[in-house]
Amino acid sequence: MPLIDIKNLSYAYREENGEPIPVLKNIHLSVEEGEYVVILGHNGSGKSTLAKLMNMVVDDYEFAQGEIFVDGINVLSEEITDEDVLTLRKIVGMVFQNPDNQLVATIVEEDVAFGPENLGVPNPELRERVDRALATVGMSEYAHHEPHRLSGGQKQRVAIAGIIAMMPRVMIFDESTAMLDPIGRREVIDTLEMLNREKGITVLSITHYMDEAARADRVIVLDDGKILLDGTPAEVFAHGDTLRAAGLELPQCTALCYELMAAGLELEGPFNTPEQCAKALAKAWREKVVD
Amino acid sequence: MADIIHPADNPKIRLLNVSYIYSKGTPFEMKALDTVSLDIHAGKLTGIIGHTGSGKSTMVQLFNGLTSPTLGKVLLDGEDIWAKPKEIGKIRFRVGLVMQYPEYQLFEETVASDIAFGPKNMGLSKEEIDERVAEAASFVGLSPELMDQSPFDLSGGQKRRVAIAGIMAMRPEVLVLDEPAAGLDPQGRRAIFSGIKAYNRLTGCTVIIVSHSMEDMAEFCDDVVVMAHSKVLMAGSRDEIFAHADKLESVGLDIPQITRLSLMLAKEGISFPESLYTVGYASDAFKALFGLEKGGNA
Amino acid sequence: MKGFAFGQYYPADSVMHRLDPRMKVIAAVLYIVAAFLCKNFFSFLLLLVTTLFLILISKIPVKIVLRSIRALIFIMAFTAIINIFWFVEKDAQPIFQWKFITIYTGGLFNALFILVRITCMVIGTGIFLTYTTSPIALTDAIERLLRPLAKIKVPVHEFAMMMTIALRFIPTIVEETDKIMSAQKARGADFTSGSLMSRAKALIPVIIPLFASAFRRAGELATAMECRCYHGGEGRTKLRILKYHARDVFFILLLLIFVGGIIAINIFGSRYGWVYTM
Repeated sequence: MPLIDIKNLSYAYREENGEPIPVLKNIHLSVEEGEYVVILGHNGSGKSTLAKLMNMVVDDYEFAQGEIFVDGINVLSEEITDEDVLTLRKIVGMVFQNPDNQLVATIVEEDVAFGPENLGVPNPELRERVDRALATVGMSEYAHHEPHRLSGGQKQRVAIAGIIAMMPRVMIFDESTAMLDPIGRREVIDTLEMLNREKGITVLSITHYMDEAARADRVIVLDDGKILLDGTPAEVFAHGDTLRAAGLELPQCTALCYELMAAGLELEGPFNTPEQCAKALAKAWREKVVD
Repeated sequence: MADIIHPADNPKIRLLNVSYIYSKGTPFEMKALDTVSLDIHAGKLTGIIGHTGSGKSTMVQLFNGLTSPTLGKVLLDGEDIWAKPKEIGKIRFRVGLVMQYPEYQLFEETVASDIAFGPKNMGLSKEEIDERVAEAASFVGLSPELMDQSPFDLSGGQKRRVAIAGIMAMRPEVLVLDEPAAGLDPQGRRAIFSGIKAYNRLTGCTVIIVSHSMEDMAEFCDDVVVMAHSKVLMAGSRDEIFAHADKLESVGLDIPQITRLSLMLAKEGISFPESLYTVGYASDAFKALFGLEKGGNA
Repeated sequence: MKGFAFGQYYPADSVMHRLDPRMKVIAAVLYIVAAFLCKNFFSFLLLLVTTLFLILISKIPVKIVLRSIRALIFIMAFTAIINIFWFVEKDAQPIFQWKFITIYTGGLFNALFILVRITCMVIGTGIFLTYTTSPIALTDAIERLLRPLAKIKVPVHEFAMMMTIALRFIPTIVEETDKIMSAQKARGADFTSGSLMSRAKALIPVIIPLFASAFRRAGELATAMECRCYHGGEGRTKLRILKYHARDVFFILLLLIFVGGIIAINIFGSRYGWVYTM
């Protein structure tokens, strides 16, 4: 059974004048445990709403239709209990965009403890979880620092530690790199990939950076509330025109390779990263020289 | 006279031996800029790149007199902007600054009146203000029906454009933007950068953009200034700077993917006569290399 | 505003810093009671000496301690003067008389006592609470001490949570205020000249964005907290374990002896007619 199984999901929110505005339309999506999935889409494509629905943190369920199963819990069921909601949020952890607006405590380690404290984890296990989570994200030496003195990337790593300490099976990153500089972005991406590869945590990363998508197992493109593309990065990047129409851009090197192929050059993929593109171009060059 | 990096005959802005020290005399003392001398060329679109903490954000606030240098001089058209400290307000109208995430400074009831805030502070007549508001709105691509809406009801990208229009409406001689596309999606980024480029070309105003994104810089700027460790590492035309991609990498800056690709290919023995930094250039260069038809369907 | 620190917490390694924060809250209350119990010259002397002793063992520079008094100087001077002039001692010779002003020795002593009382109270509670206890530890201590009140539906946990979040966001919001002011200055806003009225009006472009952003932050924080399974204080555990040590017991005993000493001095004082009682 997939860890997340979404069937025929539609969602709309109510405008001030009472009209429902559709955000998601007939979404079918299932994610297996351990996958690293990137969800792409321009601002307003519905990707954040999808993430929030999985954790039950949208404001209004009036126009939510279909089914979302997370580890067998039906999120949109009428009979869902408070306990189910807590279990759900324990399974699915979320890291948000603005690093400042998700840290609660004035000391790093107390913030990391916030989640497990809410779950009622007793000491000394609580202490162990906090220390382990901080070590995992490489922030142990900042345990007693004040969050507002950290850099953006460090704050996000603390936020990630706060989720890890709850021992989730899925982590959703809702544009968690959008407000960071390149160094901070690198820190966060390295951390999330490590969590997936080494800790086996299922990662759903929402972003509009294509180079982040290039590194995932699977890429899903949302546009206008619908799933437009779903496949490996190479499969998705092959649809450059569809991506552009959805307000996205191919990574520079990938775009170059496809443009050269369109002009008649024979290249052998994949073209996800600059390294792969360099390899393909070098090979084509050698073949041409031999001729 | 200091050694000015990238000198100009008639620089719009010139920094002369400028140092800036935060919290001088306290334990928090920190040198944000260290004897920097630099020319910003008139009418050009100059990009300033560097890591957080490299001194670039401090530099931006020196251009319009939001902060004054601890040492050294900031010259606008050859005149020290701090010659008459009481009149620094006038400098801020001549050098318009759009700060990071400027949408969080919107406060008026309508988009139009928010854009008009700056011109109003300049003491202009109502007709003049209306004209400038309309002009600025068209530069950033805000449609007229948005003008009477509350800025708080707009989307993130639209709010950003309102904030930028608010500075453009002051018709500054120099427009400075700190990370104008931060947090926007590719479409939003492109719209903002093309709008700024069009503004630069149409008005002839000097424009300075601070950004982390090398790829955007490579595509839109004429000149590039690279900051590292509170100093100017390099300054020059876009071609000159990207010819030194290795130097950019040495201070840990992300070079454009295309440039990285050409560096990797150079190791394989494939080199190009000029430095590659945009997809357009690269595709032409490769087509020439492989003897393909130019201008195929892109 | 880069070096902004909330409150007056002075990090140092002293016995006072190591004491349990709950104990320090109790100690502060006891100290206030003791200061009010003082009645005569000797009890005030004891209070003064004890306060000096507290400063000494807390390793906080005297200069910093005196800073907390500086804010109160006007009020203290006012109270002292009132006491000097309004004091009427029966069957005693005034030491100074001019028109309607009469000053008695007792009045002078009374004023002195009040000064000592206020000074010692402010410094004493300051040392127990703000100087040697971080705001977060203080909030934590108050929450735990007041926990029994939760049984009668006093929202103790919610109050403590609010305090914590406020402490967390004060530096963020101060920084943001700075940023918005710069942004509006860049649009020609002038915060420093003009009449009081026009200066207040000039703040509107700062206050509105600040409120808008505070609401946005509050909304996002609430979502993030829900995601981290926050559901009120019920069933919550705590990372920070507070445990009373021998030093805490020892210290509270010392403090009780001190209060007892003051009461004893008061009793003996009134029995043997020691001078200058209040």
